Amino acid sequence: MEELAWNAACLRLEDYLRAHAVEPRERLLALTLSILAEAKSAHDKLPGLTPLECTMRIASKKTDTWFSLLAGDPARAARARIAYFAGGRNDLFLEWPLPEDFVASIRSAGIEAGPALEFQSLIRRELDYGAMQDIARETWDRFSWGHVLSAFALWLAIFFAAWGIYLKFFQ
Amino acid sequence: MKPFCGTDSLKPDVISLRQALFLATGAGITICGILLMVAILRVDGFSVLEWVLLGLFVPLFGQIAFGFTIALWGFLILLAGGDRYQVMRTLPEPPAAGPVGATAIVLPVFNEDPDRTFRGLESMFRSVEATGAGGAFDFFVLSDSNDPDRWVEEETEWLRLCVKCQGFGRIFYRKRRVSLHGKSGNVADFCRRWGKRYQYLLVLDADSVMSGETILRLARVMDANPRAGIVQTSPQIVRGKSVLQRFVQFATRLVGPLFAAGSNFWHLGGGNYWGHNAIIRLKPFIEQCVLPEIPGHTAAARHILSHDTVEAALMHQAGYQVWFAYQEEGSYEEGPPNLTESLKRDRRWCQGNLQHFWFLFAPGTPFTNRIHIFFGLMAYLTAPLLVFFIGLSSWDSHVKQRFAVYVAEPWVPVSGVWTSGVLLALTLTLLFLPKLLGFLHLLPRTKEFGGVTRALLSTVLETLLSVLLAPVLLFFYTKFVVLTLLGLRVTWKTQNRDESSIPFGEALRTFGAPTLCGLAAGAAALVWSPTLLPWLSPVLAGLVLAIPTAMITSSEAVGGWLRKLGLLLIPEEASVPPVLRDLDCPAGEDAMAVSGVMQVAISPEVNALHSSLLRRSRARARHKADHLAGLRKRLIEEGPQGLARRELSALLWDAEAVELLHRDIWLSAEQDLHPWWRHALRHYNENTIRLDRRDFQGL
Repeated sequence: MEELAWNAACLRLEDYLRAHAVEPRERLLALTLSILAEAKSAHDKLPGLTPLECTMRIASKKTDTWFSLLAGDPARAARARIAYFAGGRNDLFLEWPLPEDFVASIRSAGIEAGPALEFQSLIRRELDYGAMQDIARETWDRFSWGHVLSAFALWLAIFFAAWGIYLKFFQ
Repeated sequence: MKPFCGTDSLKPDVISLRQALFLATGAGITICGILLMVAILRVDGFSVLEWVLLGLFVPLFGQIAFGFTIALWGFLILLAGGDRYQVMRTLPEPPAAGPVGATAIVLPVFNEDPDRTFRGLESMFRSVEATGAGGAFDFFVLSDSNDPDRWVEEETEWLRLCVKCQGFGRIFYRKRRVSLHGKSGNVADFCRRWGKRYQYLLVLDADSVMSGETILRLARVMDANPRAGIVQTSPQIVRGKSVLQRFVQFATRLVGPLFAAGSNFWHLGGGNYWGHNAIIRLKPFIEQCVLPEIPGHTAAARHILSHDTVEAALMHQAGYQVWFAYQEEGSYEEGPPNLTESLKRDRRWCQGNLQHFWFLFAPGTPFTNRIHIFFGLMAYLTAPLLVFFIGLSSWDSHVKQRFAVYVAEPWVPVSGVWTSGVLLALTLTLLFLPKLLGFLHLLPRTKEFGGVTRALLSTVLETLLSVLLAPVLLFFYTKFVVLTLLGLRVTWKTQNRDESSIPFGEALRTFGAPTLCGLAAGAAALVWSPTLLPWLSPVLAGLVLAIPTAMITSSEAVGGWLRKLGLLLIPEEASVPPVLRDLDCPAGEDAMAVSGVMQVAISPEVNALHSSLLRRSRARARHKADHLAGLRKRLIEEGPQGLARRELSALLWDAEAVELLHRDIWLSAEQDLHPWWRHALRHYNENTIRLDRRDFQGL
């Protein structure tokens, strides 16, 4: 049972590292084994966690810390992560210390979704629509279904009255 | 031909003379038609019904008369070697070198295919760079997409493009949190944020592509003509796969140049703006062209749906010219893949054009813009008028026929037959002569259209298809106008699909009504007025055949077959322009569309990209954090299908929630994950390129 749980942890860790573009098998295995060893010793101290949770917590923390160090500022860690993927130096993943030129390239990478904002107001002008607007206002602003229904009722009454008169006196 | 030394040198006399010629020709033909109609109706005296018929005939005949007039003047202008007064002729030959005004090229998108959109953008970026003046142009993708998958895919494509072309700092991506007022609101938002930084704005559609040379020439023409407010190009429809797309792309080559040249002939600097593939002078656009509200009871009713025509009118009213660079090549767009999509677009245009009614009588609207607005209105209003006209004239002839039986006289007097024949001949000439003129115009270049025989056959096929489609459009335009005037919304029971083909069930649902109308009208004519049936048959045939027409015109297989036969060919198919070469997804990469939500949750790169593009809130209310935590939990346990689109969007708008989602997915035990996520995690790395949404169906 324990072996199955560590197998699952190992598989997930491998997937996680490969998601970080760690492609060479040798590097992947070395990192996997190193993190698994760390997870096993931590698991002895924290038996409440499953091997998978323990392993992935360590991997996640290591990764976050590494990207924060790489960015030089935790607030820019996400941008460092993007620059790392764009840079193509995947062989350096989780290495420390790192070549200075690599760190400099990551920190100077400009990933701006937009230029600096220069806000200005767009002011809507009132437009004069002339006579049509007046006609529409006079028609629709005074419109009510009550008027329409009463007019309809009146004409209906006139129609039936006329029809009644016709039937009574002319038929 | 004398050079055109700048749009300021254009004398008012030229404008007045051309407009007088145009209006006189159109009015003259219309009057001829009216006189013939009066001659037909007055034979046995005017009845009330016939007065109504005459009243309907005037705008209907006027519409085709003025359409013909534009094509006629366009043909004459092209026959004379082109128009001297074209805005692009103000540029010196050879073109001047040197810097051009800072230009923002904006691409508003709304759930369009990101792969196609960014391929087009890449093509344009490279083309602009190749001109050597790339530094003056910045590209902006302005997203209003409300599909979370599309949103993330757009961001990923943006990053891929920036990395591939080293476009950071030149290609930008902006997603609006509140998509207020559609495309016009999207562009207005750009103007509000960055409008001050640029002199010109080149507006595109998601499927637009323009060559770098054309973009540069447009910026130069704006530099050279300070009074040019908008320069609209004539985008050529290209890359047609389905029959409808091929039909439209050939039709725009056949009669498009005539109508374009004819339009420029009469309006010159008082042209129209089509909303895309046009360059705009930003300062007056921001100061003068903010869309006003139209009279209405609700905020939605006061909003202008079709902004372009109004913006052109406001620009012209502010003293700037709006030119039509109709002979400028290198401006492209794609057509709707099938009749349903085309009608959906028409529905929007119909609603928008009817709103323009308010500007028709607004004091200060320039004369040429009033004409544009009137033509735009009549493009849709003529449909119900024509239906009414056909119905009344059928009734009138039925009554006369019945009466003739009782009095034993011919129901159409002999003198009326000849006049009717003349009027019919005139009408058919006005409708079909532009196609013949268009064919004559492309005769010297038939090689580009597959040779003389194929070009002729294509012209005949285009004419037949337009005859077949016209009654279907008549039916739907009438429906759109009536529902819009009643304040009702037109809805569609169809799904948005990537494929162009319309299956039988969908065709039956959408086009069953026109088919039934055609059958009913045919049966009525057969019973009450059989002699009328041959005259109504072109309209009835189009209606009755609406379902097969919709299905066949949506077929890419038939479209491909036509292309193999060399029919409905366009020059861009014989020789593909460089800017259009790499727009198709390479073979084998068809299934690249990995779910954006999956990418943002699993990929550390996409997750970092997405969260870094979001604005982080300094403080967050506890109830909001709890709500997002709940959504995160549900997303993990129930998969993306377990959350509504707005719930996914709410989650994706929060940077912290997005980062936590990524962490939670990777840290969760197998049994805590929905099968969708288990599948995604297991296959993410090996199949990042090939994973397809279809792999996740049923999970």
